[in-house]
Amino acid sequence: MKKIFLFIFLFFGLTAVWSQTPAVKREVVGRDIGQLKGIKISGRITDEITAEALVGATVRIPELNLTRITDANGSFEFEVSRAEYTLEFRYVGYTTKIYPITAVGEGRLTIRMLQEDFTLDDVIIYGSDPEKNIRSTNMGAVTLSVNTMRELPPFMGEIDIVRSLATLPGVSQVGEASSGLNVRGGGVDQNLIQFAGAPIYNPSHMFGLFTAFNADMVNDVTLYKAVVPSRFGGRSSAILDIIPKAGSVDKWGGDLMASNFSGKLSLNGPLIKDKVSIIGGFRISYINWLLQSLSNTTLNNSKANFYDGNLVISAPLTENNEFTYSYYTSYDDFAFASDTTISWQNNAHSLQWKSKLSEKLKMETLGFYSLYEYGIFNQSGLNNFEINSDIKDMGGKTFLNYTLSPTQSFTFGAEYKQVAIQPGELVPTGTSEDVLPKKVQNEAGREMAAHFQHELEIGEKIGLSYGLRYDLYQYLGARTVRTYQEGTPVSDGSAIGETNYGEKELIQTYDGLAPRASFRYSFSKASSVKLGYNKMYQFIHLISNTATIAPSDVWKLSDGFLKPQIADQFSLGYYNNFKGNIFETSVEVYYKDLQNVVEYKDGANLILQNHIETELIPAKGQSYGLELYVKKNLGILTGWISYTYSRSLRRVITPFEEENINNGTWYASNFDKPHDLTLIGNYKVSTNTSISATFAYSTGRPVTFPEAKFDFSGNNLAYFKDRNQQRLPDFHRLDFSVNFKLKGEGKFFDGDWTFSVLNVYGRKNPFSIFFDDAPQQPPQAFRLALLGIPLPSLSYAISF
Amino acid sequence: MLKRLVFLLLILPMACVDPYEVEVPEGEQLLTVEGIISTGPGPHAITLSRSATYGSIFEGLIRPVTLATVVVRDNEGNITFLTEGVDNLKGSYFTPANFRAQVGKSYALQIRTAEGKVYTSTPERVAAVPAIQSLNIRTVTVPTEGSAVPKSGIQLLVELRDPADENNFYYWRNGPAVYILETRPDLYTPRPTPQNPDKRPQPKDCCVQCFRYEASNNQSLFVVNDDNFNGLSTRIPASFIADDGIRFVNKFRMDLKQYSISLGAYRFLRMVKQQAEISGSIFDPPPANLRGNMISLDNPDEVVLGYFMAGGETTRRIYVDKNDLTFKQNRAIIPDDCRVISGAFIDPPADWKP
Repeated sequence: MKKIFLFIFLFFGLTAVWSQTPAVKREVVGRDIGQLKGIKISGRITDEITAEALVGATVRIPELNLTRITDANGSFEFEVSRAEYTLEFRYVGYTTKIYPITAVGEGRLTIRMLQEDFTLDDVIIYGSDPEKNIRSTNMGAVTLSVNTMRELPPFMGEIDIVRSLATLPGVSQVGEASSGLNVRGGGVDQNLIQFAGAPIYNPSHMFGLFTAFNADMVNDVTLYKAVVPSRFGGRSSAILDIIPKAGSVDKWGGDLMASNFSGKLSLNGPLIKDKVSIIGGFRISYINWLLQSLSNTTLNNSKANFYDGNLVISAPLTENNEFTYSYYTSYDDFAFASDTTISWQNNAHSLQWKSKLSEKLKMETLGFYSLYEYGIFNQSGLNNFEINSDIKDMGGKTFLNYTLSPTQSFTFGAEYKQVAIQPGELVPTGTSEDVLPKKVQNEAGREMAAHFQHELEIGEKIGLSYGLRYDLYQYLGARTVRTYQEGTPVSDGSAIGETNYGEKELIQTYDGLAPRASFRYSFSKASSVKLGYNKMYQFIHLISNTATIAPSDVWKLSDGFLKPQIADQFSLGYYNNFKGNIFETSVEVYYKDLQNVVEYKDGANLILQNHIETELIPAKGQSYGLELYVKKNLGILTGWISYTYSRSLRRVITPFEEENINNGTWYASNFDKPHDLTLIGNYKVSTNTSISATFAYSTGRPVTFPEAKFDFSGNNLAYFKDRNQQRLPDFHRLDFSVNFKLKGEGKFFDGDWTFSVLNVYGRKNPFSIFFDDAPQQPPQAFRLALLGIPLPSLSYAISF
Repeated sequence: MLKRLVFLLLILPMACVDPYEVEVPEGEQLLTVEGIISTGPGPHAITLSRSATYGSIFEGLIRPVTLATVVVRDNEGNITFLTEGVDNLKGSYFTPANFRAQVGKSYALQIRTAEGKVYTSTPERVAAVPAIQSLNIRTVTVPTEGSAVPKSGIQLLVELRDPADENNFYYWRNGPAVYILETRPDLYTPRPTPQNPDKRPQPKDCCVQCFRYEASNNQSLFVVNDDNFNGLSTRIPASFIADDGIRFVNKFRMDLKQYSISLGAYRFLRMVKQQAEISGSIFDPPPANLRGNMISLDNPDEVVLGYFMAGGETTRRIYVDKNDLTFKQNRAIIPDDCRVISGAFIDPPADWKP
C-alpha cells in the first residue's frame, strides 16, 4: 500500500499537454531502491471525460514486445526490468498515447485517454470492443455510430445515415436519388427499417436526395445483412435498426445547425433531474423559400418542402426498469413545374420498457404504431382530384434474455403486428362533377412470430449462435377476391367469379420456420472464420414501376395470388485485425436464393388497381457476391476501403409463354451492379481541422435499350425486346469535405464549420438514359444526370 | 447577384439532361402495322412499314411495305380488299370509300406480303361510340427553359355522356384543319439578284388572307378509359394544337374524331403514350414491350409491331376564334402573297361556316 501512495497519479493533468506536444518528458516511475528485475508496473486506463474504465485497451512496450489488454476494470499489469521504456496506450476511437518512462521501482499509473473525435462528443465512436468484429459470433451485423458517419463527407451539409451505410461492402443504392438500400442483391422493400422499434416505410426526403432521419437524433444504426438474430423478421434481405439518442438527465443543452439547404435545432435535458430526460429535434428545409424567390418560371412553379421531427422521453424509473417513448415524424411535398403535388408523411410512435428482472434475466417489451401516408394532388383546374394512400402498422414485441453463464445466453420472445393498407382512394376535388371517386379495396393482415436464440461459446475458440423463428401470417377481409379461369394468364378477361369476405374474415394463411445459425472459429484474438445460414419470410411487397420509393408505388400484402417472399442465405467470412486492432479486415462470400419476388407485366398499370394480381408475375431471384473490407480505425488518417463483386439475378418462368420475361432465362435485376468500390479517408490536419473524402465506383446499372424503332401515329417508337440487357455507363464520384472547429469566445462562436463539395470533378453520372425523337431533330439518346455539377454546401453547427 | 448565388447553390439546376452516345443493338426489320377502320365515312387506311435500328441515320424515313395484299375480314366472312395508294401514299392501303365498319361486328386484318409471308390480326370488335356533346377550348402554356415566352397552344375538351352499362375506351384523333392565313405581301422583299439588286421591300398587291389546309397531326395521343367516369357526363382533354404564331391569328377550324376502341387497343395505345412521354425522369416506368395484335402465320415467334384497330367513330367540328385564346404566341410575319404558301387557297372551303 505504501508504495502505491508513493506514486500518486504522476500523469494527472498531463494528458492535454501530450496530445499537442509530441516531445514528452520522460518520467521516472517507482522509488529507486536499487531493484533491477521483476519491477511490477500496474495501472488503470479511464476516459478523460467520463472517468469510465476503458475495457480492452492495449498497453504495449515495444522494447520488450509485450502487450497487455486491460481487464473489466480497465486495469493492466506487467513485470519489467529496470530500464527505459516507451509505453503505448491504444484504444479504438481514442487518441493513442506514447509515454516514455524510466522504470526504477514498482508503481501504479493512472492513464486518462481522450476520445479521438475532437468534437468531444459524449458518444462512443466505434463501440467499446475493438475486437467485436472478430469475437462476435453473429455475422454481418454492422453498427455505425453517428460519430463514424460524421467522418464521411456530408451530403448537402448533412450527415446521411442511408448514404453512409451504402459505403459498406454489400450495400448499394440504385442511383443518386434513390430511397433505401439494396443489401446483397435485394430490393429496397426487402429491408425492415425501424426507428426505435417502429417500422418506417419511406426513409427519404425529396426522393432520396436526403435521408429522412436527423442525425442529431440518432445514436447509432445497426444493419444486419447476413445472419439476422431470430428476434427480427418480416423482411427478406436485411434489418436496419436505428436507435435514437436519449437526452441528458443532468443538464440542458442542444445543437443548432444551419446549412444552405436546411436548418435544424435540437434540445435535450432533464424533465426531472437524474430521473427523466427529454430530447426533441426539428429539421426543416428552406429550398421552397429559395425557389419562390427566383424569377425563373419553371423553378417558380416548383416547390419542395420537407421537415422531420423527433421526441424521445427516457425515464429510468427504478434502477431496473427503464421506459422510453419515441415519436418520429417526417413530411415531404414536391411539385416540379406542374399542378401536381406529390407528398408523403411518416409518423411513428413507440414505447419501450426495458427491465432487469434479475442479474441474469432481462426483458424488453415494445409497443409501436406507425402511419405512412402518401398522396398525389392534381390542382390543374380541370378534373381536380387527389389520390390518397396509407399504411398503418400496430403491434408489440417482447423478449427475454437469460444469461446462464458468461459464455451462454438464451433469448426468446414473441411478436404481433397488424397491418392495414389503404392502397389508394381517388377523391374529386373540383367544383364540377366530372371525375368519379374511386377507392381501391383496403387490405388487412396480421403477422405473428415466436422466436428463440441460443448463443454459446465453447472454449476460447468456438462460438455458436443458433435460433429459430416461426412466422405466421394471415390475410384478412373485408375483401372481394376474384377467381380466375385455370389454364389462362391471370387478367381482367380471365376472371370468372368473385368471393366476398367479411370484416376480419380469414382469406389466406402462410406460415414457415425460419432457422438462423452462425458458427465462429477463432484462430487467435485477432483472427476468426465464420459461417452462417439465414432464412427469412416477407409478407409485404413494394410494387414499383420506378427505381425509387415514390408515392406512385403500391405496397401490397401477400394474398392468395402473391405468395410471401422467402430468402435463404449462406455466408462465409474470414476476419483479421492487425497491429492491435488498428486495421480491421474481412473477406465475406454469400449466396442468396429468393422466391416469389414480384415482377410486373409489360406496361403494368399499378395505380388504383383493385385486382393488382393481373399486373404482376412472380419471379425467382438469386444473388451471390464477394465482399472485401479493410478499415483503419486509429491514427491521423482513418477510413476504409470496401469492394464488392456481386450479381443479383431474376428469372420469370410461367406456364404461359407470353408472360415469360426474356424467354425464361436469368437476367440482371434493376440493381445488379457487379463491381462496387468505395474508398473513404479522413485526415486530421490538426486538432481542430479535418478533411475527408469519399470515392465511389460501381458498374452502371442494367437498362433496356430499344431493339428497333417504328412509326406509329406520327411517333417514332422504340421496340424493346428483352429486359435489362444493356448497362448505363459506370458510376464514379468523388466527394470532399473540410471540417473546421472554431474555438471562439462565447457559445455562438464555438462551433463547427463544414464545407463540402459533392461530385468534385463534376461527373455526369447518368441516372437514366432515354431515347427521344423530337421533331426536327436527329434521334438521340439522352442522359439524365441528377448531380451533374460539383455541388458545394456550407454548414455551421453549434452545441450548447 | 445574391439570387444568382442562391440559384447556383440550389439543387434543382444540378440535374441536367444532355445528349449521349450509346450503342444500340442492330435493329431487326420488323413488319409494323398501323390503322383503324371505323363506322365513320371511308376510305380507312392501314399503313405497313418496316422498323429500323434505333437511332439509325434512316430516321424519319418511312420504309413502306409495298405490293402487299391486304384484306379486312368480318365475323360473317365478308372480305374487303384494300388498295394501295400511289406516290407518297405507297405502303398505305385503303378501303373502298363506301366501306363502313358496323357496330357489333368483329374485324380481322389479313396481310400477304410480296415475299409471300402471311399475317393476321386477332379479331377486333366494334363498339358503339357516344356523340361528342360539346367541344370547348382551353389555352395551355408550357414553361420553357431558356425562353422568356412559354410555349402554348389550345387543348380541346370533349364533353361526352358515357354509357353506364359497359366498359368504354375512347381514342381521339385530330381530323383535317383549315385556318385563315394572314400574310404581309406589303413587306415582300425578294433576294437581291443582279437583275433586281434592290434590297427594299417590293410590295405585292395581293393577297393578305387565304384559307390554309392542314393535314392532321396526331403526335400527342389522347386515350382514356371510363373507370373514373363510368355513366357520367364528363369533360376530357382530347386534343392539343400547338400555337405556331400562324394558326390562331384569325380563325381556325378542325374536325375532331372520337373513337370507341377495344380493351386491347386501349392497352396498346396507353403503352405507346407512356413511351412517347418518357422524359428520363426518376418516375419513368421501365420500358415495356409493346405487344400488338398481329401474328405471323408462318412463324409464330416472329414479332409484328403495331396494332390493327376497329371502332365506332363520331366527329365534331370546332371553330376557334383568335379571341378565344387567353394567351397567344407572337404573330409570325410571312412577307409574301399568302397564295404562295403550300396548302393555301384564296377561296374558303364550301362548308366554311364559322
